[in-house]
Amino acid sequence: MDPARPLGPAQIDAVAQLGVSTILLGGIYALIAVGLTLIFGIMRVVNFAHGEFLMLGMYLAFWSFTLWRVDPYFVLVVAIPLFFVVGLVTYVLVMKGVITASHNVQIFTTFGLSILLQNVALVAWSGDFRFVRPWHLSVALRIGGTTFNLSQVVAFVIAVVLTVALVAFMKWTHTGRVMRATAQDRDAATLMGIDTDRVYRLTFAIGIAAVGAAGVLVAPLYSVYPTAGLQFVLLSYVVVVLGGLGDMAGALIGSLIVAAVEVAGSYVFGIAWKEIFYFLLFILVLVFRPAGLFGQRGSETLGA
Amino acid sequence: MRHRAVAFTALACALFVSGTHAQTLSGEYKLGVLEPLTGPLAFEGKRHLEGLEIVRDMINERGGVMGKKLTFALADATDPTVAASEANRLITREGVKIIVGTFSSRLCGAASEVAARHNVIYWETSCVDPRFNKRGLKTVYRTEIDATGFGWYNVEFIAKHLAPRFNLRPNQLKIAFLSEDSSYGQGVTESARQRAKQEFGMQELATDYYNFTTINDMTPIVLKLKQLNPDIVHHIGFGNDAVLFWRQSKEQNFLFKALVHAGATGYGGADFGKALGNDANGVFALLEPGPGFRLEALRPEGQKIERDFREAVQKRTGSYPLGGHQLAGPGLWLLKIVLDRAGTDEPDKFNAAVMSLDLPVGSTMNGWGVKFSETGQNANERVQHYMLQWQNGQLVTVWPEEFTTHRAKWIPLGPWDQRK
Repeated sequence: MDPARPLGPAQIDAVAQLGVSTILLGGIYALIAVGLTLIFGIMRVVNFAHGEFLMLGMYLAFWSFTLWRVDPYFVLVVAIPLFFVVGLVTYVLVMKGVITASHNVQIFTTFGLSILLQNVALVAWSGDFRFVRPWHLSVALRIGGTTFNLSQVVAFVIAVVLTVALVAFMKWTHTGRVMRATAQDRDAATLMGIDTDRVYRLTFAIGIAAVGAAGVLVAPLYSVYPTAGLQFVLLSYVVVVLGGLGDMAGALIGSLIVAAVEVAGSYVFGIAWKEIFYFLLFILVLVFRPAGLFGQRGSETLGA
Repeated sequence: MRHRAVAFTALACALFVSGTHAQTLSGEYKLGVLEPLTGPLAFEGKRHLEGLEIVRDMINERGGVMGKKLTFALADATDPTVAASEANRLITREGVKIIVGTFSSRLCGAASEVAARHNVIYWETSCVDPRFNKRGLKTVYRTEIDATGFGWYNVEFIAKHLAPRFNLRPNQLKIAFLSEDSSYGQGVTESARQRAKQEFGMQELATDYYNFTTINDMTPIVLKLKQLNPDIVHHIGFGNDAVLFWRQSKEQNFLFKALVHAGATGYGGADFGKALGNDANGVFALLEPGPGFRLEALRPEGQKIERDFREAVQKRTGSYPLGGHQLAGPGLWLLKIVLDRAGTDEPDKFNAAVMSLDLPVGSTMNGWGVKFSETGQNANERVQHYMLQWQNGQLVTVWPEEFTTHRAKWIPLGPWDQRK
């Protein structure tokens, strides 16, 4: 039977549900990608350890829930400042030394950090799949013929709020302007009296705080294990490139596009095809609009 | 003075005991052990290693191998490339003559190639890739059945146990195949498809493969299958994908009569039950025996060693043996039997000992028997497998019924909220 047969009520419900799945899955991708695009856009650093900070956020949610029965939504309050500090420390210990080095050095450094964190997690918490099961995970809201998982709805709402907040921060605050100025021309910014080291430190810390928060939020939806981050990190790069480097709103829209391609491709052609479609899209965007769908033309080379 | 005499006697006894121990085991025999201990496959690799260590200790308490104490030279095989280079290191640096490993179908091919090239024995306790024993490698053996055996058993269960209880003939059954795309998943699925279609005429509605490391949403496939309305979902899952499929099937109220899986990963892993609690009720997974398994159904020698094995696992882990333990440990035990019989690790004599081994079902751990083919593969019909079902947080043995005290429930599966 072909899923694309003539439309009946069941098919309309299925299409509506696919739409809902796209939005909810896109929310999760956006949550993860927004921190990456910030670091990528302003520091021009390809952070290969991004997925591992996500994994650490997931473990924070897991242990808080297992040891003290704290719901992930409450953990979020602690997670954001905690990961901000983790970001600051990581910047000072690791990133600061390579921030002016070549991209190759930066890639090797963050890749090394990624392997290090994965294996620290493996030694500390074993390779077992762990699960967080708060009450809201099994709550499904039914509207018409469609179903919304409550945890996913909350993750989506927080993704939107986080994106809007970051966009506003970048656009209207003095610090945000300073960060954008540094992204556009590091040397000129230094000449204007901007402490670029402080800007990078702050950027990295905000990016890590965002991905740490994302880890806490997605922990109930997926298994928690040392390489959990790998499941999302490659995809986050597709999202970031699609949306335009450093463009937060672009990351949100890019996430929705990737999710739509994944959901529709899986349904119509089979799940094996989903990666073919979104990597094809990735290549097309790189060929025809290297700055991303929404990025400023030429922004990909800025500050390089 | 009296205290000193007591202490002296105790010391003398201790020395005597350790002395006799040393006498029974003269020297050490070093075995190469290759398992993924870091990276994405580590969670299962470590469990396999635990199984190997438990049985190594059992072996040493029972006279070692060839009268020597068994020790391990350990290596970490994170991916196929590392598996090959570590196998090389075990052979050239550690000087091992036998390598035991590597659980994953992704790793065993590369590692065994290296061993065979050095004329070193490769003893595989898991890795069910059907191609493993079809490469003409002379020193490569596998104690576990291959994936085609898993597919064979699954269809046997569906056609002979489930169909009658649905009041359907096997050729009336509509079946959908879904699987992760490793050689394991494909091997089980393709052999099940073939047998379901050719031998029983079941109606295949769909076959879908996916990469378990990148699957983040199962809703599209759930919706697709829901419209096709299958009786049976034959799903080989690996980890989170199984949890995701089951949870999202519930969210979408996708109803089918049964879900059948094979292997110690995905639905067959303890983590599936932990993730879903009683929501996991009703899922079938083809595995080694679990709770409910009747020891009395085994031969006397099988009963004894199976009981000792369970106790040793219980002592070390506090739980009933898990899938990883039950593949690695009993596989190592069979190696001890062969080595004791051959008296050497010289490949030709070792091979003769392997080929001469003929133990009926029920003779050893897991109720397994032994009869190796010329290609070094233990026979499907000797390596007895069992269908387990998730029942209230536990995987219990439900089939074949003569081997178990438990019975399969929820046939067919009712509405999601009524599987209590």
